[in-house]
Amino acid sequence: MVDVRLEHLSAEFTHPSRGTVVAVRDVDLHVQSGELLTLLGPSGCGKTTVLRIIAGFQVPTAGRVFIDNQDVTSVLANRRDIGFVFQNYALFPHLTVQENVAYGLRVRRQSAADIVRNVEKVLQLVDLAGFGPRLPDELSGGQQQRVALARAVVIQPRVLLFDEPLSNLDAKLRVQMRSEIRELQRVLGITTVYVTHDQEEAMAISDRIAVMDQGRIAQCDTAEELYRRPASSFVASFLGRTNLLDASVVRRDGDRVILDMEGQCLSVEASAAFGAGDAVRAMIRPEAIGIGPAGEGLRATVVTRTYLGDKVEYVVRCASQDLHIVRFNPTESERFTPGSEVTISLPSDGVQLLPGN
Amino acid sequence: MIPRWITVAYFLYLASPIALLFIGSFGDLWLNSLLPTGITVKWYLDVAADPNFRRAFMASLFVAVMTSVACVAIGLPLAYAVFRTQSQRVRAAARVLYQLPVAMPALVLAFGFILVFSSDTLPWLGSIWLLVAGHIVLWLPYFLQTVVADMQRLGLRVLEDAAETLGSTPLQRFFHIVLPALRLSVLSGLIIVVALSIGEFQFSNLIAGFLNRTYPVVLLQAFYGATGFACAATVILLTLALIASFTGAFVARGAARLSVAGDER
Amino acid sequence: MTEMPSVRVEGASFSYPGGKAGVFDITIDIAPGELVVCIGPSGCGKTTLLKLITGLLPCSAGRVWLGGEDVTTASVRSRQCGIVFQSYALFPHMSVWENVAYPLRVRAVDRTERRRQAEAMLDTVGLRGYSERLPAALSGGQQQRVALARALVFKPRTLLLDEPLSALDAATRISMRDEIRRIQKQQNIASLLITHDRDEALSLADRVAVLRDGRLVQIAPPQELYDRPADAFVASFIGRTNLIDGRVVAPDAVDTAIGRIVTPAHAMPMGAAVRLLVRPERIEPSSTETGENVFAATVVHDRFFGASREIELSVGQGMLKIDTTVRGTIAHVHLPRQAVQFLPTH
Repeated sequence: MVDVRLEHLSAEFTHPSRGTVVAVRDVDLHVQSGELLTLLGPSGCGKTTVLRIIAGFQVPTAGRVFIDNQDVTSVLANRRDIGFVFQNYALFPHLTVQENVAYGLRVRRQSAADIVRNVEKVLQLVDLAGFGPRLPDELSGGQQQRVALARAVVIQPRVLLFDEPLSNLDAKLRVQMRSEIRELQRVLGITTVYVTHDQEEAMAISDRIAVMDQGRIAQCDTAEELYRRPASSFVASFLGRTNLLDASVVRRDGDRVILDMEGQCLSVEASAAFGAGDAVRAMIRPEAIGIGPAGEGLRATVVTRTYLGDKVEYVVRCASQDLHIVRFNPTESERFTPGSEVTISLPSDGVQLLPGN
Repeated sequence: MIPRWITVAYFLYLASPIALLFIGSFGDLWLNSLLPTGITVKWYLDVAADPNFRRAFMASLFVAVMTSVACVAIGLPLAYAVFRTQSQRVRAAARVLYQLPVAMPALVLAFGFILVFSSDTLPWLGSIWLLVAGHIVLWLPYFLQTVVADMQRLGLRVLEDAAETLGSTPLQRFFHIVLPALRLSVLSGLIIVVALSIGEFQFSNLIAGFLNRTYPVVLLQAFYGATGFACAATVILLTLALIASFTGAFVARGAARLSVAGDER
Repeated sequence: MTEMPSVRVEGASFSYPGGKAGVFDITIDIAPGELVVCIGPSGCGKTTLLKLITGLLPCSAGRVWLGGEDVTTASVRSRQCGIVFQSYALFPHMSVWENVAYPLRVRAVDRTERRRQAEAMLDTVGLRGYSERLPAALSGGQQQRVALARALVFKPRTLLLDEPLSALDAATRISMRDEIRRIQKQQNIASLLITHDRDEALSLADRVAVLRDGRLVQIAPPQELYDRPADAFVASFIGRTNLIDGRVVAPDAVDTAIGRIVTPAHAMPMGAAVRLLVRPERIEPSSTETGENVFAATVVHDRFFGASREIELSVGQGMLKIDTTVRGTIAHVHLPRQAVQFLPTH
């Protein structure tokens, strides 16, 4: 059982025109053994740098890296026993699939018979039995990705690292490959760190997600916790779509507060931090908002309606604010065309308050 | 930090003969010492005054310019044909053509020329036009390669399709799209051709007639005379080459700036 | 009298030399102002279809009409199609306005006039003030807008878009999607958009045409396509599915691996092998343990996607996928009878 621990990790670069750039600031992270943890964030948030530091491709400016409780901060990459899957697969073009996968075993001086057996086994695992003699060029993107995966796991690494492995695949293949990666990781039980900027991919694949923003970990938790109780508006809007509505607190009522939102009163759960008169931003998920024919309640006008088969997305204008609404499995009666007047209902549960500006 | 040392060492190795040539060309007296003594520009004036060198300089320029003209006239349509062809055979032939100057030394070409053009039916050996013809064979592939690569990088095919659907005639497409879009790679291809042509020695040495010897050919003779004179003559050749390569780099940078950021995904 | 379609493709075929996939016997009409989205997996022939309309490829059989005129043998130039290429195909050496004005230039419109029209079009696509830039200095989304302006400025008979959004990142893609729709409606021009993205097809199209192996499988408005797909291929290409094979045991029931499923009344003979389609979002977690089409279920996979969750359930001897916003444990599921539909088996 292997875990990965990062302590006070920082990394700086010298950029030719921008001077010193801090890519990673004081990151603490504990990846449990057997867990798949995803580093999620926009480009430039430092997620890949963290991954490369764990791999040993890059030396941190400060802080330490532990693999299996052993300080590996100054250990070279090839001594860390890690499997790395690259964004562009980085397959050796002159070697066959068999030889690509065998490479890690060859440099570990396994016997020829063992190599053949192990490669065979792992190619079967990634559904590429019989592809051994082919060259990478002759494979589709998804197949190349599987070879890269096989090459990374065949050496039975202590830790498996993925750097945006699916970004070169088309949407359908991406969905399929991510569940394959997840299955394989579960079967092998290898502690895994996975980097992506795609929130849906992160939610589909991870045990836990560390959302990164400007070199820091903004929040690290399960997808469900991050979605329901985001610590900041950054996390809220990065994971799923969200509405951030300006409102003010009218008064407290036990563990709830009464909000004034566009002249509408709304009672929501709130921590003690919010008191009467505070300006707040109420975070409401698009699927929590109801929409119905014009009547009593909060009036709005439909701006756009987007039909997506299993769901319909609306943008409605309510006073001065635009609201996103998602209706799953919509009924026939629930068809509101752009320009039509509707009534929306805001939920009393599932509203998260964040400090206002 | 080993790579840095190698870089420095290699640079010294590369630069020291050039530096020595440079010093020598301005040195007054250079006999048995490591470095010459005294500073003078007389060697340059001597070179400039020497009728042999003047003629050779003009011959070299003439050959380079004529080769360039031919490259545009023959090479551009050829490059376009190679780029547009669907046929695998034409592509294979083009690949062979690209490899030709590497596979076939100029010396071999020169012997071939001597055999063919010293006969009574084609008695053109010694003519400057034959020199130009030889240079075209030698340098056209470099030009083709540069231009075809640029056509592929630009996605010229789709640009032309786009222009056609927008209503332009084949002639308009050539002058509005193909030529302007390729102007930088044509220019950089020509600079390569000029640089190679001006420096070429092997072929010209064997083919050139006495009155139209090119600059490098005459240069060799200079080393039998005064060292300073030879150095100055060489530095002039070197300067031409440097100008060509700096212009080339400048043009390439311009081309990179122009390239549409469509391939960023 | 019905209005003449702006674009009519009738029985068009094309096969590539060497037997590579082409298109076979395709018939599509596009009405004035209508946006038809053509969708299919890669290699299904959708780009070939577009090239047949533009004339970049010749029809080996069939005919193409544009604006009521038979253009089957007409040149590319004379067809007057506005095309947005996947790579945008902006001319790298021309500024933004020169790109947009190019079709006017080859039509010999004088310089001040074409500048004026180009600027007006750039205004329409939201690029005022970018006239003098070179394409290389624009973002992907902006280049896309230039390409759109250039394709529309000469008032073409039809607008054809070849995977116009595939090179953009997810956020830009969604905003450009709405933008293309807005401009297309504003210009009221018959349009064909090629894509492999189902969200794009469903959200943009007046009608969606599904292509497979060079043949047109179904053409219908998005909702009809989703609710009444012609076959299993269309059903699963356009959305997530449960495809359940079974045998008819009653005029309104089918025996399947999941159990006996009550269906809308049908006319299939007893014992016939049938395939049922149930969309995952139509299946509901059930609070009661018995009732029509209520089955005991065990959760195998539970994937959380924020707004909804995708759950795979083991039911009877089979599996069901469901999409639900319901939170909490699931022990029973209910398949509403109306959510069950028959697909042809073959």
